[in-house]
Amino acid sequence: MEQASVIRAAIVIALAALLDAVVVPYLTFGFFSPRLTLIAVVFAVAPLRDLQAVLLGFFGGILLDALGSDLFGVGALGGLLAAMLASRASAVRRRGSERILLAQVIGLAVAGYDLLGYSARWLAGLGVPQLGEYAVGGMLPDAVINALLAFLIGGWLLNVVNINPPTAGKSNYSI
Amino acid sequence: MGRKKSSAASGLAALFILSVVSVALFTVYVKEGDCTQEQDCGPLHTVQLGAAEVLQPARSVFATLFEPLQRANESVQGAFDNSEEKRLERKLQESQALGAQASRLERENARLRELLKGQRSTYEYGPLAQVVAPVGDQFTQRIVLNVGTEDGVEPNRPVVIGENTLVGRTTEVSKHTAQVMLITDRMFAAGVRIIPPAEFDPASGELSPAVTAENVSYGQGLLETNVEGYFGVDLVSLKARAEEGDFVVTSGRAGDKELLFPPGLYVGKVEAVSSQDIEQFKKIVVDPAMNPQDLEEVRVIVDWAGWEG
Repeated sequence: MEQASVIRAAIVIALAALLDAVVVPYLTFGFFSPRLTLIAVVFAVAPLRDLQAVLLGFFGGILLDALGSDLFGVGALGGLLAAMLASRASAVRRRGSERILLAQVIGLAVAGYDLLGYSARWLAGLGVPQLGEYAVGGMLPDAVINALLAFLIGGWLLNVVNINPPTAGKSNYSI
Repeated sequence: MGRKKSSAASGLAALFILSVVSVALFTVYVKEGDCTQEQDCGPLHTVQLGAAEVLQPARSVFATLFEPLQRANESVQGAFDNSEEKRLERKLQESQALGAQASRLERENARLRELLKGQRSTYEYGPLAQVVAPVGDQFTQRIVLNVGTEDGVEPNRPVVIGENTLVGRTTEVSKHTAQVMLITDRMFAAGVRIIPPAEFDPASGELSPAVTAENVSYGQGLLETNVEGYFGVDLVSLKARAEEGDFVVTSGRAGDKELLFPPGLYVGKVEAVSSQDIEQFKKIVVDPAMNPQDLEEVRVIVDWAGWEG
């Protein structure tokens, strides 16, 4: 049986947040941009316990806020949302169907994050497009493409986060 | 089983507490100083500025790496768009014709510059700055420059290419980096005047009297990205003159507000004008002179005649 490593999960999330700050601005086309941190949060925290998942989601979100230049707090809320959804989904998943399930979770998390970002900008009095236009032309494709991206790299991410414990031991503790 | 339940309960409690913390951070961030003034920089903005400073070398590396990709992207877009190809062919022919004329004018210009030396510098420029990287998200259009407060750059200063083509304005400035809000960003706004081509030469950098003269019939309004999503000039009176092909330049006027941009910075050309009797203002779409993809080297105007900032 495989166990999840909290340290590995934290490293994966931190690296994704760094890539989000440095590389993703070049990969933003219109309203679409790869949400690497959210993808990393969902796949990294899915095998973990609820409390660990929430803490790591917040950690990833805060990193995203600190390294980026957007409204502080939106990333943290997005990270929490992604972690919570991943944690709930992990309770119902079946072996072999993790990728497809977590890709759907990514779609939901990205749509939620986009809506959070939109609301935050609106609350802060910053310029936003019309909601209908943004929902159809922005949130929907963003969620679908990110879900697809998550499905493609999800298997690899799950392998990175999971570790094989020594066969003799039956410890439930994770590193 | 009991352990699982307790983990779920503590997870929910942590979720609630951290959500409140996140909302509190958001509130603090919006309320705190946004670094547009030197002594008014809140802790969360300072954290982001520090991160920008630290990430600058990495961003420079990726800017170099992504340059061929961006060029390839433009080429691919061009390959699928036949109208763009035809437009470019036309432009090439025009450019060739203009080339001969340009070399003659260049000689004449050099001679005139000698004559006018010391009389034309209405703007004081900072050092030539490299565009390090784009930043921001899907709602914003911003770039980072490799100049900062140590180079004399401050927030809210106009950024130009060439001598006077407006690119945007500086927002958050650290020691060695400056963030620039491009004119196409949804939050950008500037007072502009719409000048007929005969009255203004964008290449010369000369401040035409048509830009600063009062009581003229030229259209004046607010340059911004409209709620409908187009880049244009709002609040232009129906009676004011504004035609397709006219130049859009900063007016340097903002009612009784402090001047944020000097007059005479070239923004772009009027692409379309429409007006309906039931509306109060004209609808003016502008084709910006700068292309965010092409930005490599820019300059920050750090001071200009009449600036009291």
